[in-house]
Amino acid sequence: MLTIAALSAGPTNTFLQQIEGGITLGAVYALVALGYTLVYGIIELINFAHGDVFMWSTVISLVIVQALGVNAPLGGFALVGVLLLLIVAGMAVSALINVSIERIGYRPLRKAPRLAPLIAAIGFSFILETIVALWRGSNFVSFPQFFPIGSFYVFGARINYLDIFIVVLALGLMYALNWFIQNTRLGKAMRATSQDPEAAALMGVNVNRTISITFFIGGALAGAAGVVYSLYTGFVWFFTGFELGLIAFTAAVLGGIGNIYGAVLGGFLIGLVQAIVIQYFPGGNGVAWSDAIVFAILVLILVVRPSGLLGQQVPDKA
Amino acid sequence: MILQRSRATVRGYINTATAWLDNTLVLGRSVRWYVTGWPFGLVIFLLAIIAPSFLDQPTLTSAISICIYAMLALGLNIVVGYAGLLDLGYVAFFVIGSYTVAVGTGSELYNSNGQPFSIPTVSFWLLLPLAAVIAALFGILLGAPTLRLRGDYLAIVTLGFGEIVPKVFQNVPYFNGSLGMGAAPPPDINLPLIGDISFSDPLNLTPFYYLALGLLAIVVVAVIALRDSSIGRAWIAIREDETAAAASGVNLVRTKLLAFGLGALIGGIGGALNTAFLPVVNPNDFNFGISITVLAMIVLGGIGSIPGVILGATILRYFDVSLVNQISTYVQENPAITNAIPGLNDINEAKLLIYGMVLVLMILLRPQGLLPNRRRSRELKGIGASAEGTSAVGLLAREESGLDVPEEDALDETAYTGAGSDARGRE
Amino acid sequence: METPATAEAAPASERTSRPVLLDIVDLSRSFGGLRAVDGVTLDVRQGEIFSIIGPNGAGKTTVFNLITGIYKPDSGTMTFEGRSIAGLTPDRVLRRGIARTFQNIRLFNNMTVLENALVGQQIRFPSDLASVMLHLPNYRKAEREARARAIELLSFFGPSLVDRQDEYASNLSYADRRRVEIVRALGSGPRLLLLDEPTAGMNDAETAEAITYIQRLRREFNLTVLLIEHKLQVTMGISDHIVVLDYGKKLAEGIPSEIQRNPLVIEAYLGRKAEV
Repeated sequence: MLTIAALSAGPTNTFLQQIEGGITLGAVYALVALGYTLVYGIIELINFAHGDVFMWSTVISLVIVQALGVNAPLGGFALVGVLLLLIVAGMAVSALINVSIERIGYRPLRKAPRLAPLIAAIGFSFILETIVALWRGSNFVSFPQFFPIGSFYVFGARINYLDIFIVVLALGLMYALNWFIQNTRLGKAMRATSQDPEAAALMGVNVNRTISITFFIGGALAGAAGVVYSLYTGFVWFFTGFELGLIAFTAAVLGGIGNIYGAVLGGFLIGLVQAIVIQYFPGGNGVAWSDAIVFAILVLILVVRPSGLLGQQVPDKA
Repeated sequence: MILQRSRATVRGYINTATAWLDNTLVLGRSVRWYVTGWPFGLVIFLLAIIAPSFLDQPTLTSAISICIYAMLALGLNIVVGYAGLLDLGYVAFFVIGSYTVAVGTGSELYNSNGQPFSIPTVSFWLLLPLAAVIAALFGILLGAPTLRLRGDYLAIVTLGFGEIVPKVFQNVPYFNGSLGMGAAPPPDINLPLIGDISFSDPLNLTPFYYLALGLLAIVVVAVIALRDSSIGRAWIAIREDETAAAASGVNLVRTKLLAFGLGALIGGIGGALNTAFLPVVNPNDFNFGISITVLAMIVLGGIGSIPGVILGATILRYFDVSLVNQISTYVQENPAITNAIPGLNDINEAKLLIYGMVLVLMILLRPQGLLPNRRRSRELKGIGASAEGTSAVGLLAREESGLDVPEEDALDETAYTGAGSDARGRE
Repeated sequence: METPATAEAAPASERTSRPVLLDIVDLSRSFGGLRAVDGVTLDVRQGEIFSIIGPNGAGKTTVFNLITGIYKPDSGTMTFEGRSIAGLTPDRVLRRGIARTFQNIRLFNNMTVLENALVGQQIRFPSDLASVMLHLPNYRKAEREARARAIELLSFFGPSLVDRQDEYASNLSYADRRRVEIVRALGSGPRLLLLDEPTAGMNDAETAEAITYIQRLRREFNLTVLLIEHKLQVTMGISDHIVVLDYGKKLAEGIPSEIQRNPLVIEAYLGRKAEV
């Protein structure tokens, strides 16, 4: 949060700049929100540890980048190579962690009361966080800025190359996800299982495998988000998962939990809201309060319109 | 022969005592447990009472801390164990109780420039019930928006509250921000026959210990009374099936808010006591970690089981204050370890790792805890889950929280791209 | 189709002379695009056994859910003993005097038979925290009386349930679970009892037994019974008055012999499978 404030301060402190920042971060939030929404859509469980899965990608990226000795902007093939490596590694690690959590913690508890997998999720979240805290320390660790620095201006708002990359990557992944869900057999299996698991099973869908795949994809998306987030903010911290998890979850709920278009919409919306709040909060203490604002949005949605923006509004029961 | 007769006598005694207790105290099913279990409880209690005579001061410090956390565990147990509502923001009430006492006994507040100004001192004995009441009110306030939410959402919303409340105290100028505030121990009291009792003597923690123990005992009795009452049954009912509970006359709003309020009240008392003990309040200490610690105590000891959560609190708190210090000293004396694991400089993180593992391992391997409550044991093992509720493929049984759609009105869900079930478990 | 034996229902004139207990006018409720209940009007008279029948998906349980406050109606009125019950929460509806059982038996499985029976009497207990927590005399009295009443209600079905009062509800047989659910519903002393397919899953012998105890219930507890039933043998044999629903709308209404002969009803039932 601090670095975001730092990035948004500066000579071009206009409203449009905030919009630009909001969209960039919003893309990241959307990717993570997709993970929440995919998992929720299929087993109606909020994967508490999802934010920490994201965070692990940032850590793995850091490890790789430090191992490679990168600490200055790269160009050409080096850039592409490192980016590719990080993204693949980040996605893979996050995906694997997510799948493991499902196999170890959620699947055995399918018949247990809802409290049980929730507690398991919290436990995993803590384990993931504290391992990193012990491994890398509990302070911010700076992430080498190897993405080429450069920007161009549009209506007074500065757009960094990195921002473009982030948004393009995110949109690309979202498009790929949508294509996957609509057009592949596995995607159809995912849709079928989330609609009616019993019927899906009777139709020959391997429900367990479908669930695992869902966790894999959700984790991968968060992993991609983790890599670009580290580049964008310039630091890695063991606790980012918690904060970002809450934000992304709010985004997913805002858009309509279980709805992938909603997660995308929610992500960008929350990104914008957050940017504006940080900039224009009275007293200038926007950063400290932006979390509270996002949370207030969450509570508001849940109380007023729990189905979110794109969910179907069901008339109230008594 | 003698053995047979004495066994028969004992059984007869148990039956008579049960019948008598049932009639006079009107307690509940667990009367039988009381009658057979009381010697054990009595021994523990007696040991606790004579403890100061054979424990040294540092151990008494731990004991006091254990009493406080046992109280917290009992309070959270009402919300999580009885009402079945996963409250992850319990620290909020602890904070509220803490600051109430800090402000009242430290008798100063801070204006927006960071300058302290004096306010009248309030006696701790007044602040204690005040902290309880304020915390209870906040419990109801924070619980209210969560009433119609399903378990997952309720957890996250309470988590958010648990994050925000301490942040408020940290960022609002009145409370000196991150620097914390000083408090004072309870004022001396003068009892007939015993004379002056001082709680501020750092060399003699015994009076404070008895204070903590006494409050703990009151909380235990109160919780038992609640558990074996119509309210206790109402909590079990809403845990099992909210709709059926409502249809049987349980007022869902009131029953849930009661759980939140009572849990918060106890949390506030714990916070108040804790601050009077330290006696200082430091906002950096108040974080999600405390909520999780208390949750881990409950899960370890036994969700919904009074002796269980007390045991869980004892184990984890003892681990926290004693073993952690020993590990910390060992680590500092062996820098090679901190080179390999830099994070161990902050022993807190290692602690939380343990708690996280406790949560996961317990819930997977022994969800009913070390000293289980028999009913909860059944629930957690899935015994008695209705056949109708579990799908043929064994997916997560749709929790029937809130008011759900009956079979003949099942809606057409469009996965991922349209309506699914929302935060209230409705479709 | 063999016409089942019909009870000698009271003539229409006698029915209208009895006071209206539950008055439902033009009740409607949709879910998304589906009109589950569509302009249903019916009135239940004091002391009668009133059946709602109809093919699957006709909206019968939805009507129950609307009456008992689980859903809010989109339109229409529901009046019980002269007062509107629309918009009340389920526990308030119970306090007004309407209790129900569920189609798929929703007992508290991890509570004992006795505890289930006690929960049903929740509204008889003092609601203030002090009385309960301190076990004040008014609370203790309520608890003692509740236990006595629970035993009494359980014994309506004979000694077997009383003997098994400390067993967990999930251990009981299906038929016993149905009975306990009825006992739970009776705990609050309702004047109108809603039974949702009380003979579902029962064989002929159990069904006959159920018919008997439903009639006994009406007699001994001075109840009015509103019944959802699929088995025509039960409906025809026991009902004073029948309403037939189909696709959320009222298809026909009348005494059993009239309903049996009604061509619309026959078509609705022959068009879809029904238990006879």
